[in-house]
This record gives sequence, structure tokens and C-alpha cells, in this order.
Amino acid sequence: MAIRIQYFPSPQPAVALLARGLAIVLALVCAGLLLAAGGAAPLTLAAQVIKSTFGSSFGLEDVGLLVTPLILTGLSVSIALKIGAWNIGAEGQFYAGAFAATGVGLFIPGPTIVILPLMFVAGTLGGVIWILIPTLARAYANVSELITTLLLNFVGTLLAYYVSTGPWLDPGGHALGTTARVRHDVPEIWGTVHWGLPLAILLTIIVAGLLNFTRWGYEVRVAGSNPQAAKYAGMPFRRHLITVMLLSGAIAGIAGMLEIAGTVHRLQGGISNNFGYLGIMVAVLARGSALGVLAGAALMAVILNSGIILQTQGLNTSTVLAITGLTLFFTAIGDELAHYRVVRTEPAAA
Amino acid sequence: MEIIAGLLQTSILAGGVLALAALGEVLAERVGVVNLGVEGLMALGAIGGIATVIATGSPPLGFICALGIGLSVGVIFASATVILRAYQVLCGLALTLMGTGLAATIGKAYSGKPAPATFAPVAIPYLSEIPLIGHAVFTQNILVYLTYIVLPVTLHFIMFRTRHGLNLRAVGENPAAADAAGIPVQKFRFWYVAAGSSLASGAGAYLTLAFVPSWSEGVVAGRGWIAVALVIFAGYRPINAVLAALLFGCITSLGFVGQARNWPIAAPILSMLPYLGTIALIIVPVLAWHRVRRLMAAPAALGEPYYRDVR
Repeated sequence: MAIRIQYFPSPQPAVALLARGLAIVLALVCAGLLLAAGGAAPLTLAAQVIKSTFGSSFGLEDVGLLVTPLILTGLSVSIALKIGAWNIGAEGQFYAGAFAATGVGLFIPGPTIVILPLMFVAGTLGGVIWILIPTLARAYANVSELITTLLLNFVGTLLAYYVSTGPWLDPGGHALGTTARVRHDVPEIWGTVHWGLPLAILLTIIVAGLLNFTRWGYEVRVAGSNPQAAKYAGMPFRRHLITVMLLSGAIAGIAGMLEIAGTVHRLQGGISNNFGYLGIMVAVLARGSALGVLAGAALMAVILNSGIILQTQGLNTSTVLAITGLTLFFTAIGDELAHYRVVRTEPAAA
Repeated sequence: MEIIAGLLQTSILAGGVLALAALGEVLAERVGVVNLGVEGLMALGAIGGIATVIATGSPPLGFICALGIGLSVGVIFASATVILRAYQVLCGLALTLMGTGLAATIGKAYSGKPAPATFAPVAIPYLSEIPLIGHAVFTQNILVYLTYIVLPVTLHFIMFRTRHGLNLRAVGENPAAADAAGIPVQKFRFWYVAAGSSLASGAGAYLTLAFVPSWSEGVVAGRGWIAVALVIFAGYRPINAVLAALLFGCITSLGFVGQARNWPIAAPILSMLPYLGTIALIIVPVLAWHRVRRLMAAPAALGEPYYRDVR
């Protein structure tokens, strides 16, 4: 009897899950080693992070504020992946949503009860418009949506920077490079955490329900795992691709709108803490499950918050981005290795 | 006329960054591997290059150091994507996030410091005296000549005129057939991906040692992604890639000229041009000329890992 390692076309779910856990631990250990090499004491830092995150309601409120956009950007990337599209542009759609919502909030007079829903609609439309061209280019000309959505991130960032330092610059304030305060707030639910969080969770559950329990969702899932089979079965692949990608953009736009109306209240250059890019990580960690999006977003929120807490130690959101990249890298490797199994083979009868 | 000469000079200088990165991506994609880590590799090369020059004062050493960083990171990326056959898109995105984040973290200490020495322009005798364009084209730094003439011509020759190049392209088109013909598929992929990564980091050093020339967070500003898009636009050919990069250099320098001459368009809006231009240039040709598509098509096995034992 011999033992050999064999490649299987489908991975073992348990091994893949284990690989994900290992990837996160490995990435954090690597980050800790790098910090130690730079002269910091990783364990002291870790203790500090845990104390300031879970030791006070302020810490948990911060995580609650960060998790909201992360759920939505993660959901955005995740739903596009369901049909096999890479929406790397959640960052740009986030900015477009924030831009549109700020525009409505600043310049349309009216009571909050009217303006807030209008801002929501504007944010959604902002996200949709931002992904429209990449969507049509992918659907009708087969142009890689990965590159077009990504390039629009830079345009979105520049747009927010331009209006917040130029035409929409706060006229009365001393603040440099932000718009005036948008006077329509999403009500708070617990401390500084606003109703955006339950809304994001609700949206995730609705999308999961649509994908798992409707004919549309079934067709999207089939189209995502095998476009040829979907076309052969007469499913409208192109139409599904377009709706799913637009929905993906809309969700990222909502994230931007909630960030304005719920958390920051002013449009400014760096309003997205790389939420769009971190959303990729959330979606990959989630492996296409809605519950996974929530869990992945919670994890990323804690990691992002740690980066913000440790700013005094020379860390920043860039370090968080680097750690995220490292985790993603190990996850990609782990996913592939989960395809291998150790099998016992009987020697052929002589 | 002086404006046009100035525009040409800046275009060539600006396009060189993209050209170098795009040449690296051509190498990787021709053997069938999508490397989406260009942006991160450029960031690492940019900080590595300028840090070396601040420490030693030698731009060539800075450039070589960046090439070395790119090669090492490229070996890690190739180990994951070629040997372990992990998902290329994910590994590339991971590399971009890692490189961008790490470079920004290291770069805090170098932010805003100008490079103490840069690649100085070298005038080519006689050619630089050609009226109108001579000075603009032939009084550039040595990296420009390397990027626009030496590298693309060499790569074109190797790829399309040698047996080795035929093998290289076979690996990207049909690895199973190449393998059957005795070509070491994995070896080809591994080293060409690593070499391509090295060029990408070199492009980063070009940015901080010859073009900007200083480090600031976000200095790469999506040029890595534009380079990836250029490769598609250029139909995966080295000489086309360099010409496409020059075209993009023109778009970028148009923004500079606009700022310098006080055009009534805000600077951030002008800065959007390269991104919007890239999107237009990868969409329009596909819509306009259907027949070009086959000629400019991607290598058939692009993005697919090769398993000898799985059919």
C-alpha cells in the first residue's frame, strides 16, 4: 500500500476553512515579526489593541462604525463574484455614492425625513452610474471589468478630492479640504453606532435570500459557476450579468451614502479607509456566503480598528492594507492546497 | 513649436514609467500568467530605489536595487502562482495590497524628501541636434533609451525571431502541447514571471529617480494598473506596448501642460485623464474593429495554471 498526494477538482470545505484560519494567523504572526524587527513589542501592542477595542464601549462603537461600510463593500464584491465578475471598484463606487449623497444633502432644502431617503437614492444611483460603463463593456464587448472598475477608483477619489477642496469647500468653516456638514443624520442606535449597521445586515440577509431562494438567484449561481451551461440551458446570461453588476455597484454606493449620513457627515478626500479594497478581502474570506460576509467584515473591522489605535506606534491604514494583502496571499495559497488530498493506493495485483 | 517639443519631452519621460511596467507584464502574460501585482511591485521599487539613493547617492545602484526587490518578490509570487498554482487574480491583488501598504508604511520616513541624485539627461551626439524634435527625443536620461529602444527591440527579437521565443509563446498558448514537445513549462513560467516583476519594480524606481523625483504616498497612482491595461491594448507585443505607453505619456503631459498654462480646468479633473483615457482605449478598439480582436488576442492559456496530471 502506498501513500500519495492527489489533486481533486473540488476542495474539501473543512480544509479550506482551516486554511483560511491559518492564513489569518500566519499573516498576523508575520506582521508581528515585522513589527518586532522594527523595534516594537508585538505582544504589548496586541494587549493594547485588545484592551482598547473590547475593554470599553467606545472601542466597540468604533468597530461598529467600521463594520457597516465593510459589510456593504464586502457584499458588493461578493455578489459580483457570484456571477464570476470581479468588482475591484467598490472603492470608486463608494466615493460616487458619498459624492451623490453629499450633493443632495447639501443643496436640496427640506426636512430630514424627506432628504435622507433622497440621499439614499442618490447614493445608490451614484454607485450604479460608477459601475455602468464597466458593466456594459463587459457584457457587450467582453472587456475585463476588473481593470475598468479599478481604474474608476482613481477617478472617484479625485472627484471627491476635487469637490471637497474646490466648489463644495466648506464656506464658513476653518476645516481645510472638506465640505460643509451635511445636516441630515442617520439616527443613532447605540452610542455613535447608527442605524446603518442593522440596515447593512438586513441588506445582506435580503441579498442572500434572493440568491438562495429565488429562480433569479438560482440562475445567477449557475451562470457564475458555468456560463456555458447557463447559456445552453437558455438562461439570459448577459441580462443577469448586468443586473448583478449594477446591484453590486448600488450596494457599494449605499456604503458611501451611509458613511456620509451616519459617520463622517462631510465629504472629504480620504473618506474611505480603503473600504473598497478591504471589501475584496471580506468577500474572499466569506467564500460566497452571506453569514461569511458578516463574519469577514467583523474581522476586518477589528483589524482596521487595531491599525487606527496603533497610529501612535507608527502604524496606519497602509499597514492594515499590507496585512490584508498578506492574509489574502496566504488565503489564495491555502485555497489551492485544499484541493490536495492524501490518498492510499493499493498496489495493482501482480 | 517650443510647446510641442516640450510636450514631446515630457510625454517620453512620463510614458517610460508605463512602458517599463508594461514590458514586464508582457513577459508574464506571454507565458500565461496574469500578474495583477504590478501596482504593488512598482510601489516597492519606488521606495526601494529612492531609499537606496538617499543612503548611497547613486541612482544606478538605486535602480539595480529596485530590480532586485522586484525579482525577489516576483520569485515569491511565481512560487505561489506557478509552483503551488494558487489563483492568479487573488495572488496579484494580494501583492498589490501588500506592496502598496508596505511601501507606504516604510515610506513615512522618506515622504517629501527629494532624491539627492537623479538620472541626468544624456545628449546623444548628432541626433540631439536635429531641429525641433532632436533635443526633446535625444536628450533624455539613460533609462529612457533603455526602456524605449534597447529593451523592446531585444524582447521583440527574442519573442518572435528565436526558437526560445517560440517556446515561450507556446507555453502561454498551449502548455500541454508545449510540455509534450519537451519545453519546461513551469521553468519558463517561473522565471519569466519573476523577470517581469523585476521590470515592474524597476518602473517604480524610474518614477522616483527620474520622473517625479521624490517619494510620497500614492506616488504610483494607478500606473501599475494602467500598464496592465496597456498590455491588452498593445496586443501583448513589446514594441506596441512601448508605443501605447508613449501615447499615455502624451495624455499625462497634457495634464501637466494644462496646469502649467492655467487652463480653466481644475488640476484634479486633469489628473483623471489618464484613467479615463485608459478605459476608453481598452473599450473602443474592441467595439470598432472586430477583426483586430483575433490578431490582438490574449495568449490562449492566460490565467490558467498548468497541471500536468489533470486533464
